Amino acid sequence: MTAIDRHRVNGPAPWRAVGIVALTVAAFFLPRLFGGTSVAYSTLTTIAIFAVMCYGIDIVLSYLGEVSLGHTLFWAMGGYAAANLSVKYGLNGWTTALATIVLCLVAAAFLGAVTLRTREFVFSLVTYAAAIVAYEVAFNWDAIGGSDGIVGISALKLPFGFATFSGATQEELWPIALALLLLTLLFIARFRRSRLGTAALMVQMNPALAASLGIDPRKVRLAVFVISAPITGLAGWLYAYQRAYVGPDMFETYFLVMMLTAVVLIGRRILLGPLIGTAVLIVQQNLLSLGGDWNKIVLGAVLALVLILFPAGLVGLFRRLGMRRFPTKELKGETS
Amino acid sequence: MSKTIRLAIALFFGLAVSAAAQDIKVGTIFPLSGGAGPDGQSVTNAVKLMVEEINSKGGLLGRKLVLVSKDDESTPAVGVSRANEMIAEKADVVVEGWNSPVTLAMQPILARAGILDITAVSKSDLILSGESNPLAIRINSSNGFDAAVIAKYVADTLKAKKVAFLTQNDVYGNGFQTAVEAEFKKLNFAGQIVTTEKFAFKDTDFRVQLTNLKTLNPDAIIVTNSSNSSGLPALVDQYRQADLKSAFVGAVGIMLPTVFKVAGDANNGIVSADIYFADLPPFNGIAESNAFVAAFKKAYGVAPDKSAALGAAALQVWAHAVETTKSLDRKAVAEAIRGKTIKGTLFGDATFLPNGQLQPRYVVFKVVDGKTAKLEALP
Repeated sequence: MTAIDRHRVNGPAPWRAVGIVALTVAAFFLPRLFGGTSVAYSTLTTIAIFAVMCYGIDIVLSYLGEVSLGHTLFWAMGGYAAANLSVKYGLNGWTTALATIVLCLVAAAFLGAVTLRTREFVFSLVTYAAAIVAYEVAFNWDAIGGSDGIVGISALKLPFGFATFSGATQEELWPIALALLLLTLLFIARFRRSRLGTAALMVQMNPALAASLGIDPRKVRLAVFVISAPITGLAGWLYAYQRAYVGPDMFETYFLVMMLTAVVLIGRRILLGPLIGTAVLIVQQNLLSLGGDWNKIVLGAVLALVLILFPAGLVGLFRRLGMRRFPTKELKGETS
Repeated sequence: MSKTIRLAIALFFGLAVSAAAQDIKVGTIFPLSGGAGPDGQSVTNAVKLMVEEINSKGGLLGRKLVLVSKDDESTPAVGVSRANEMIAEKADVVVEGWNSPVTLAMQPILARAGILDITAVSKSDLILSGESNPLAIRINSSNGFDAAVIAKYVADTLKAKKVAFLTQNDVYGNGFQTAVEAEFKKLNFAGQIVTTEKFAFKDTDFRVQLTNLKTLNPDAIIVTNSSNSSGLPALVDQYRQADLKSAFVGAVGIMLPTVFKVAGDANNGIVSADIYFADLPPFNGIAESNAFVAAFKKAYGVAPDKSAALGAAALQVWAHAVETTKSLDRKAVAEAIRGKTIKGTLFGDATFLPNGQLQPRYVVFKVVDGKTAKLEALP
């Protein structure tokens, strides 16, 4: 399915706006709907943060068709920026968020430029190597935390001029996580319709057509990679405040596997795909856990089965089962 | 629905709630799966044993203890989820911590929710810094104390003139070496540090470092290596093959059962120290320790190791503090432990420093027979 198709399927604009507002309000009260317990708040806050983390890699995976194994680097960058700047210099949330965005843009521009000519396997390998190098630096550099990491991250403070928001508990951070998620969704939705979004798809699916229209594939690739970084970075930024501790574990494959699985599980190029994927994974881990070893075995098996049998994700499975919710014309343009 | 049924349901829920409210909830969060799974299970089993023992004597404050055990999968992000679950289940105390990063990630979550948190094993000094948890309590020894006992052995007992370090290149290894060097200064150590050889945690080939050490022939080599199932046994084997004459002085707590199992006789002669041995003095003279060892063997068929003892001691210490304060309040119980001495634990009289650290009692030992892990306590 392409970005353009999806929007034609939807109803007229005013109704959509009302629907979106209603859904947003409903989402805000979701934790209370689930009982208002701290587990409800922490699970939903974590889902929102991890979903934003996944949307960064989703842009690269869905619209460039490349597998970035380096997005834990941006995730950790956000965490380390928030931790170091707030603990050592007492800076507020806006400043640490700005620092996260700038750092991620610079790092992604560098990494994007280096990998400009690489494709597929080599691209994955180089981005992975970048994350490994960054991990080693973070692990051994005591000034930014070393192998023990940074403790004592205070509550998130966001001054709004007239008042200052301060959030430390899961309940207080939920509105911020939800807002970040909604902004990300808005951004992705706009990106899908933007010139860059359509150009990226064209470069991925029909390079000859893109070339004939005068689109420079390298510019497009670089731009998409660069804008993907601060999305994952901002998720890491909020995660630092949620957890109040940042350490080299932010580079762990746990997060990388979470990002890739959440995107692939539901299907690429679906606006809510990464969010639903993240929700399924977190709910399974937290509420329907089979124990650490079994979780990994089941997750690995499900992922392998989905990739082998339904490369288009679970959405592809539903289509095969003949569900008519996803119009068949969207199948056109599916490359995987 | 008839009124009687409604009443019955209301009564049932009312009873269920009041029955649950009377139980005291003890939570544990340790790795129960993956590489550290067996270790975490052993600590969890020890806590479970203590819970059963307290219940068999009538519980605490006239209430029964129930145990809730969770798996942190050695992953900080998972540990945080488990800590949040403990908050939702209203645990009265959480005994946790095999890996320092997992402990550090869980500490602020539990502290903000007002849940008493006792760290059993994780060793990082940051745990007691008071920044994430001003009421932190830890049972395992800290790097600083560990370094003092090793430095004292090398300087005073061994009277070494030339000393070398074989150090794991990370915060644990480098931190330990720095602490030993600081202790040498305090002891006015007259000897000389001839060299420092470093290696990475994952290394299994140490022949280059050992060759360098052999040429310098120091009296003692102080070794840190926390890779106890692969790196350290390999190092011990290669040390013997290289035929070094220097005394192998292992950092505190590195000589775990896996090292004896893999490297066997090559361990003979190694000197190290630790804070709990079921069958060495002074612990084999403590009634509580002997009772714990017997009960653990009966329940699980194996002797408890140090980490099991740490888990059991954590619960004993907490239970004593609850009994003295007649309270489950986090602050009241923590203040009855921090800076106080608690009698009748399996470590004997357990004295806590004001920062929440248990004052360890070390046993310096020499390996007599590596195959059977037979040790001899040194004076």
